[in-house]
Amino acid sequence: MPLHRRLGGGPLLLAVCALAVACTSTASDQGTPLVVDDFGDTVRLAAPATRIVSLNPVTTEVLIAIGARERLVGRTHWDLGAAEVPDVGDGMQPNVEAILAQRPDLVVLYESPANRGAVERLRAAGITTIAFRTDRVADLARVAPVLGAAVGDRPAGITVAAAVRATIDSVAALPRRERPVRAFWHIWDAPLLTIGRGSYLTELLEAAGGRSLFDDLAAPSPQVTLEEIVRRDPDVILAGPAGAEAIRRHPGWAAVRAVREGRVLVVDTALVGRPGVRMGEAAAHLRRLLDDVRVP
Amino acid sequence: MRRPVWILLVAVALAAMTLALAAGAVPLPVGEVWRALFGGGDVTTGAIVRGLRLPRVLLGFVVGTGLAASGAALQSTLRNALAEPYLLGVSGGAAVGAVLSVVLGLTAPALLPLSAFVGAAGAVVLVLGVARAAGGRADPRMLLMAGVVVGAFCTAAIMVALATAPEGTVRGALWWMMGSLGDARWSVVLWVSAYVLVGGALLLWWGRDLDVLALGEEAAASLGLDVERTTRRVFLAASLLAAATVAGAGLIGFVGLVVPAIARALGARGARATIGAAAWLGGTLVVLADLVARTALRPAELPLGAVTALVGVPFFLWRLRAAAAR
Repeated sequence: MPLHRRLGGGPLLLAVCALAVACTSTASDQGTPLVVDDFGDTVRLAAPATRIVSLNPVTTEVLIAIGARERLVGRTHWDLGAAEVPDVGDGMQPNVEAILAQRPDLVVLYESPANRGAVERLRAAGITTIAFRTDRVADLARVAPVLGAAVGDRPAGITVAAAVRATIDSVAALPRRERPVRAFWHIWDAPLLTIGRGSYLTELLEAAGGRSLFDDLAAPSPQVTLEEIVRRDPDVILAGPAGAEAIRRHPGWAAVRAVREGRVLVVDTALVGRPGVRMGEAAAHLRRLLDDVRVP
Repeated sequence: MRRPVWILLVAVALAAMTLALAAGAVPLPVGEVWRALFGGGDVTTGAIVRGLRLPRVLLGFVVGTGLAASGAALQSTLRNALAEPYLLGVSGGAAVGAVLSVVLGLTAPALLPLSAFVGAAGAVVLVLGVARAAGGRADPRMLLMAGVVVGAFCTAAIMVALATAPEGTVRGALWWMMGSLGDARWSVVLWVSAYVLVGGALLLWWGRDLDVLALGEEAAASLGLDVERTTRRVFLAASLLAAATVAGAGLIGFVGLVVPAIARALGARGARATIGAAAWLGGTLVVLADLVARTALRPAELPLGAVTALVGVPFFLWRLRAAAAR
């Protein structure tokens, strides 16, 4: 049960929340860390977790990076990087019974209204449950220390996040072109999805000396039309192998100048696919792609 | 229907297509559109007009034609002004056929309409069977109820098929089920047109039989018409039309309902005139609906099926009231 429900409000809660928000994880008067997750719930991490179900590939990745691989007892179906950890199904609207069957003492989820029900049911079953939204680059620096604290090693979380940040910053510090390369990032074909301001990919692209063609749209992955891409006339197209194939196959894409002139860059989707511990590598990968292209 | 009305229908259709070729994220003057159509103009304009908009506009027109002709034929055979491929579950059946064929990896533009047709024909048999079991298809509401039930079953079947489908097909399939002309390629335009031409030609060929059937089953039988065979033939042709449109553009509802009614209001009498006028009007309606779909929420795109439903549902309710009052 979330702590604030038990406390029922008052100045003490306000003080705890203020502290908790300021540094996400802090020591309470009883010596155990308190965290405020992205649902706004205050959760006490009583003892270092030993059986963790992580239903967000990003948090799975972070837990492995801070040396907690042996403590993972569940991951999502899509978490191919942690194949030896038992698969408990989907990360959104997860199967609560499959999670309980792993007898976890900590469950980490992606923060979304679709997961609210699962969080309530897991907490009702007495399991410490926290949910974080991991969409932006800065989310890692917020979440990794909490996960570190959850396994009794907050410094490891801080180190992992700092290392990723440092790599991204070093890519961003490389010499730049006169103007950023304007890139359309092809995420999905039908409907046509790209990256907006809310996506870490927009940030990584900026660190790599590019600029998302649709950085004026707030959503992480907004839907757009092919004609709008023609109108905005990007310098390059970024797409995964399947997306690049779809662009080659559909003759309508010839209306986009960058496609006609052969500036479709194939990104390593496994590397850039999630805002996790490989974001620094991803930024360097994007920088290399953009470096190799001659923009008019 | 008088000649000036026919000329008006064709003129409005051409005007709608010209407008749809000129309007969009990149607005083009009509003069430039014409130049690009015949191979002139700069590269980007040519690519927008010939590569992007022309196949899309033509596919929209053909899909609208097929849906409207299918609706007109179903309405006249069933003597029910509320009959329509989408509401009767025929489009849903076609979607099941198409989804199964995609899941099995059979995605050729020539093949997809055929597997959709198998699904559509199956749905027709089911709907008529359910309606008959529930007290006869003479009651328009009973038939619609059967259509809704079969449609729901089809949606469930699609969900089951998608649950086992490879990752990635699901989102694409759900988008396609809401109707979209976004995948308009020349191969798709050609194959859908071919099937719509065959289905439409068959319906016009059997137009006189449809007129006789419109007198009522007993009267038609007494005039020497093989009622069962004619009904079956018309259902199959109407299913082929609906299936081709579903394979080309997904589920687009209510066109087959609204358009034949407008055709009759314009003075179309008899099956051939109604189907013919509905074909022109249906094409025009879908081309304009798609124009709304791709420009209303720029830079995003609305599902085409949502646009036609926003127009179609109020119209349906109004017709339902009229049918219930009778």
